[in-house]
Amino acid sequence: MELKQEKTDKCSIVSISGRLDTTTYSILEKMLNELIDGQQDKILLECSEMDYVSSSGLRVFLMALKKITQIKGRFIICGLQENIREIFEISGFTKVFEIYNTAGEAIVQF
Amino acid sequence: MHRRIPRFLQFTGLTVRYGFLFLAAILLICCIAFIYSYRYSRALLIEGAQKDAGLLTRETIARIENDLQPAELLPITLANALESRNITNEDVIQISGALVSRDPVIFGSCLAFEPFTFDKKSYWHAVYLCENGSRLSTRLLGDKDYDYFNMDWYRLPKLLQKPVWTEPYYDKGGGNALMCTYSYPVFSLVNGSKKFTGVITMDISLAAFERMVKAIKVFKTGYGFLVSKQGNIITSPRMVTEKKNILDIARAGRGEQTIRAIRDMLAGKTGFSPMDGLEAQSRPGFLSYAPVASTGWSLGVIMPADELLDDLFQFFRKILWIFAISIAALMVATIMITRNLTRPIIRLVGATKTIGQGDFNAGLPQRRSKDEITQLTDAFSVMQQELRKYIVSLQETTIAREKIESELNVAHHIQMGMLPHVFDAPAGWELYALLDPAKAVGGDLYDFFYLSPDHLCIAIGDVSGKGVPAALFMMVTRTLLRAKAIEGTPISEVMQSINLELSKDNQNQMFVTFFAGIVDLKTGEMEFCNAGHNYPYILGAGGEIRQIDTRGGIPLGIFETGGYISGKFCFAPGETIVLTTDGITEALSASEDFFGEARLRTILTENAHKSPRELADSLISGLKQFSSGAEQADDITILVLRNTMQAMQTMQTMQTMQTMQAMQTMQAMQLVLRNEVGEIDAMVVCLEKIALQWNIPAKARMEIHLVLEELFSNVVLYAFMDEKEHFIVFDFTLLNPNLLQIRMEDDGKPFNLLEQDISDSFDLPVEERKIGGLGIHFIRELTNSISYQRSGDKNIVILTKTF
Repeated sequence: MELKQEKTDKCSIVSISGRLDTTTYSILEKMLNELIDGQQDKILLECSEMDYVSSSGLRVFLMALKKITQIKGRFIICGLQENIREIFEISGFTKVFEIYNTAGEAIVQF
Repeated sequence: MHRRIPRFLQFTGLTVRYGFLFLAAILLICCIAFIYSYRYSRALLIEGAQKDAGLLTRETIARIENDLQPAELLPITLANALESRNITNEDVIQISGALVSRDPVIFGSCLAFEPFTFDKKSYWHAVYLCENGSRLSTRLLGDKDYDYFNMDWYRLPKLLQKPVWTEPYYDKGGGNALMCTYSYPVFSLVNGSKKFTGVITMDISLAAFERMVKAIKVFKTGYGFLVSKQGNIITSPRMVTEKKNILDIARAGRGEQTIRAIRDMLAGKTGFSPMDGLEAQSRPGFLSYAPVASTGWSLGVIMPADELLDDLFQFFRKILWIFAISIAALMVATIMITRNLTRPIIRLVGATKTIGQGDFNAGLPQRRSKDEITQLTDAFSVMQQELRKYIVSLQETTIAREKIESELNVAHHIQMGMLPHVFDAPAGWELYALLDPAKAVGGDLYDFFYLSPDHLCIAIGDVSGKGVPAALFMMVTRTLLRAKAIEGTPISEVMQSINLELSKDNQNQMFVTFFAGIVDLKTGEMEFCNAGHNYPYILGAGGEIRQIDTRGGIPLGIFETGGYISGKFCFAPGETIVLTTDGITEALSASEDFFGEARLRTILTENAHKSPRELADSLISGLKQFSSGAEQADDITILVLRNTMQAMQTMQTMQTMQTMQAMQTMQAMQLVLRNEVGEIDAMVVCLEKIALQWNIPAKARMEIHLVLEELFSNVVLYAFMDEKEHFIVFDFTLLNPNLLQIRMEDDGKPFNLLEQDISDSFDLPVEERKIGGLGIHFIRELTNSISYQRSGDKNIVILTKTF
C-alpha cells in the first residue's frame, strides 16, 4: 500500500493505492491521527487506486470519522472502486460516510 | 612415404635400406650403360667385318676374273679370224693348243663343227685338245655315244648366238676333273649372211679356283665358296652336305633369313647379310657376297658370329668382373658410411628408450660436429630437461589432486551415508530409493523417516548445479527437512520454513526443487507440497500410470516469501508413487537423444508388477541400456513407495471420501500460515494461485480474500494467549466447479464466530458503533454457509462460497 498526502487551501487530501489490510492499516491510522491532531478538520480520502480493504482498514476510516466529528470537521471519501463500494454497502458504511464518485465532486463540498 | 618403400625393406634399419636402394640405383645405371656400349661395340665390329669381308670378296673375284680372261679373250679373236677367213681351222687348233699348254687354268680347248661343215662326209667333227701330263694330246670327238650337238656347251651358244659359260660339270671323258666350259659361237659369211658353223670352247679347270677360294680364311672357321649362276657349288672347302646346289642347302638349313641372303646372292647382288647358319648344323653368322661379272658366278664368304664377336665377349666378360667387384666394394662402403651416419641415431634411440622407461637423467650421446643429428640431440636434451621439470610439477599436482579426490570421496561417503539405506516399511507398505550420482558428489537427494509410527515423511529433491556446492546445499536442505518436519506441522509450513532458511544469505543464488510428503500409513492419505519439482507418477497395480499435478510453489531458496500450498493424495490399494529427478528424463543416449518421459512411463508400466526395488533397478538398467556408454550427465534419483494394503482403514465418512476424491484430482489445496500478521502476504500469493487454478473471478477472489483475512487476523490477534508459534491451516476444496469449501483449523482458544452478536450495532450512529465485529459481519455476508466445531483443542470453521 502507498499513501500520498497533499494539502489544498480547502482541505487535506490523502490518496490510498494498493491493499489496505491488517498489515498496512496502521500506517494510514498514524497519518490520519497526525492530521487530525494537527487540527486538520477537513480531510478527503481519495480511494480510486485502492484495490482492497479489509475490516481493519474500515476501522481506521471509522476511527477517523469519529475523531473529526468530535472537532466538528468533515471526513469525505471519494473514488471507491466497484468491489470496494459493495464492501461498504455490506458493512452499512455507505449510510455513515459521505461518499462521492470523484474527487472533483467531493472537493466542492468543503 | 612408407608406401614407396618395398615391404621387405620396411622393417630393416636405415643402413640396409639405403645400402640396398643405393646399390639398386647404381646397378640399374650401370646395366643401361653396359647394354648400350655392348650394342654399340657390336655394331662397330660388324661394320668392320662387313668392310673386311667385302674387300676380301672383291679381291678374290678380281683374281678369278684375271684367270678367266685368257679363256674368254682367245675364242673371240679366233672366231673373228675364222669368220673373216684370215686363218684356217688348223691355225685355230694350233693357237688353242699353245694356250692350253701354256695356261694352267685352261685345261682344254675344242673346235666343234656343224654336221658336214668341216668334211662333207663326216657328221661329227670336233677337235679336242687337252693337257695330258706334260704333253698336249689331240682327239676327235663325236660319235653315236658322244653326240655333242645335244650338249650344253654346243647347243646353248648355237641357240643363243652368243658365248656361254656352262654350269660346272665333271668331265669324265675329257679331263676327269670338275670343269666349266666357255663356248663361243663361230659364224661364216655365206652369201653375205652370217651362218653358224660351230663353236670354239675353252675348258676351265676349277681346281685353280678351288685353291683360291680355299685360301679365303676368316677368323677360325670362316670360309669362302663359289657358286654358279644356278647355285651349283663350284668350290667350297667346308661344306659337308652332299647337295650340290647352294639354294637346296639353304632350304634344308635353318631359316628364311639365310634363304633370302642366298637368293640375293644368286641374283648377282653384292651384300652383307646376317644369317641363321647356312647348314642345319652350322652356327649363326654373316654372309658377304659379290658376283663374278663375266661368268655370272657368285663368291660368298661366311663368318660365324661367335668368332666375329669373340673378342667383344672376352672384353665384356672382363668388364663384368670389374663391375661386380666394384659393386661389392661400393656395398661395403655404403654400409660403412650409413652405419657411421646412423650410429648416433641408434645411440639416441637407446637414450630415448631409457628416458621412456622413466630415467630422466639418462645421458645423451655427445657430439662435436654441428650436423642435423646434433641438432636433434640438443632438442632432445631440452625436451628431457623440460620433461624432468614437468614430471616434478605433475607429481606435486597429482598429490594435491589425489588429496582433493580422497576428500571428495570422503564427502561422497558422508553424503551417501546421510541418505537412509534401510528400507524397512511397516506392514502394508513397500519402500525403496536409490541415488546414482553423476560425479563423486551430487546435488540430488532423497529422504524418508518416521515422524511417528504412523506417519512417514518422504522427500526427493534436486539442487541446481553440481559438485561440492550442490552437495553442501543438498545436505543443508536435508538437515532442515529433518529439523522442521515434526509431527503435526503441516508439510506446506515445513516447506515454508525450509525455504526461509535457505533463502537467507543465499549469495550463490542456489535453489532446490523439492517434493515432500507426509503419508498417514493407516489411512493411506498423503499430504504433500511440491516446490518446483517434477510431478510424481502414480502407478496402479495393473500398470496404469498417471501424474498428479502438484503445483505447490517455486523451488526452495529463491524468495523468502514462498507461499507454499500443499495438496492431498490418497493411495488406493496397490498404488505406487514413483518420485524421480530430471536426471532420468534428461539422460542422453550416445546419439544425444533424451530418455524422455515416454520411455520412463513405458518402463514403469511394464514393470509395475515388480517390487519397488526391482522396479527401480529395471528403470536404472533401462536407462543404462539407453545411454549405452554415454557419460551420465546428471544425478539419477528414484524413490518408490507402494501401498500393499487390501483396503483403507479409514474413509468412513462421505465427506472424507469426497475430500479425498477432490484431492486426488487436485481439487484440493492446503495453505498453512503462522500466527503472524505478515503471513497475509503469503496468503495473497497462494490465493492468486488457487484462483488461477480454479478460475475464480476477480470479485469472488476479492471477497474470499477478505473473508480469509478476517478469519486469519481474528485468530492471530485474539486466539492465542501465549507468545508461541502456532499454525493456522486452511484447506481449500473445490466441491463443484463454482463451489469452494474453505476449512480453517487453529489451536487457539475456543471461538465460535456464529455466536457473536453483532447485528445490532449497524443501525447505530457513528459515535455508538463498535469497531469490532465488522470482520465477522463480512465473513457472514460474503459466504454461503458457515459451520463451526470445537474438536479437541482445535477450532474448525468450514465455509462455502459460490462464484
